[in-house]
Amino acid sequence: MALQAANHILELKDVNFRYPDGTLGLDRCSLQIRRGSRTTVLGANGAGKTTLFLQMNGILRPHSGTVSYGGATLDYSRQDLHNLRSRVGLVFQNPDNQLFSATVREDVSFGPLNLGLDVETIRIRVEEALLSVGMVECADKPVHNLSYGQKKRACIAGVLAMRPEVLILDEPMAGLDIAMQSDLIQILNRLHTDGMTIIIATHDIDFTYGWADEVAVLQSGTLLAHGAPTKILLLEEVRKELGAAPLVAEISRALALTGIGVYDNDCMPRTGAGLVQALLSQSRQENDR
Amino acid sequence: MLIEESAYTNRWRRVSPAAKGITSLCGMVAAYAAVTPVGACGVAAILCAVTVLGAGIPTLRYLRVAAPALLFLSVSAFSLAVSLKIGNTFGDLSLHFPRTGYYRVAEVSGRSLGALAALLFLAMTTPLPDIITLLRRLKAPEVLLDIMILCYRTLFVFSEAVRDTITAQSARLGYATIRLSIRSLGGLVANIAAQVWQRSQALHLASMARNNDGPFRFLEHDYPNTARDMGVAVSGGSALILLALVI
Repeated sequence: MALQAANHILELKDVNFRYPDGTLGLDRCSLQIRRGSRTTVLGANGAGKTTLFLQMNGILRPHSGTVSYGGATLDYSRQDLHNLRSRVGLVFQNPDNQLFSATVREDVSFGPLNLGLDVETIRIRVEEALLSVGMVECADKPVHNLSYGQKKRACIAGVLAMRPEVLILDEPMAGLDIAMQSDLIQILNRLHTDGMTIIIATHDIDFTYGWADEVAVLQSGTLLAHGAPTKILLLEEVRKELGAAPLVAEISRALALTGIGVYDNDCMPRTGAGLVQALLSQSRQENDR
Repeated sequence: MLIEESAYTNRWRRVSPAAKGITSLCGMVAAYAAVTPVGACGVAAILCAVTVLGAGIPTLRYLRVAAPALLFLSVSAFSLAVSLKIGNTFGDLSLHFPRTGYYRVAEVSGRSLGALAALLFLAMTTPLPDIITLLRRLKAPEVLLDIMILCYRTLFVFSEAVRDTITAQSARLGYATIRLSIRSLGGLVANIAAQVWQRSQALHLASMARNNDGPFRFLEHDYPNTARDMGVAVSGGSALILLALVI
């Protein structure tokens, strides 16, 4: 895998995959992930989100089509997979499926040890990863004594300790309360600011609308649409597939119909806070007149 | 769970596992080498006191953990002490307590108590992951250690899964009658068997995603006072063996 400084860090081209029991995984799926982007993957249950992620990490191999990392097509040799998995970290949906060591610190050290690093480097990486997800105090706790949210954080730390360029999270918000979701978003934002490419599978359309740079919508294993959330999530076929449009976009559209435009410098508000801000700003302008 | 709780919360959690392993080993050697049953019981008493007073394990919890083993030991001791006496006529059976058997029972029971106290000392003061690390240093087979790690982790995952399944079954009157209980139990076993397979697959995928292609390796803890702990353990253990030989 000869890596180039390609703009697209990950690329799937016409990938087909079917599980041994005949279930369709991916059907001629093509997708490009921009380096340094925040991408969310939306789609109904069974649309192929997890399969897509397993392809990106090299766990599954396409029956036809190609997967490329940094411009180089994967050849699925042992060395190639080792390189890919060192750069593409995958956090699974269910933390109990990912944590198999007894204590948090041990589990976080699992990935770096597999990279063949020396013990001192591993210790530094483990501490940094624990610090970045706020789990230093729980480092020596047994995994089974952690709360669900803490388990999720431990999983993320386990992947961060490998210092991947791409972090993939399969439905990370599932099962988390609002405060924990907010903490997690802060962690992800910090990682993104540090230059990490982040890909998230989610069902949360509003979160996608407000947070993501790009969104990919899957439908029965095929890419239905891919692009900026402000455009893609307003498309009729996407709305039909997902069953809803972002609430902020719906309110903005309804307000526009009543003659209240909430565009700020030609930009549509993407979050509830942004919408309120736009309305207040417009109200102030009208008062000034 | 009681052992697990003690292992993580006792005062000697940060003492080197190697030192605790040596103490436990010396305890077992002393129990076996004890010349008299009194000596073996003395070893057991000392180890028990060290665990309860030294490591700060609550007495009641210690006794609860030891209870099943003590029950098993008492049954064994009784069967050793008693022999069946068969008379001349058919059906003439009686219990017999031979005098020579008492000493043998005392000897075996004393040694067993000593060995039990030594094992409980290690188990209740040292979390299993530390024991696994110790075994790894002692060059125990990797496959065996991998299985130990997975079993230890899955033990908790499945106890949770079993609890959840039973709750779900009970909520739908699954255990309302004996007939329904048997049916629900069957469903539980079948469900857990399928979950075992699914979880093992999921864990395999997760290990591959983090670049694992061989034995499970984890970072080992640092124990800053290992030399001091080892010194204390060797001298304490030797004293215990000497005591067992003298009494």
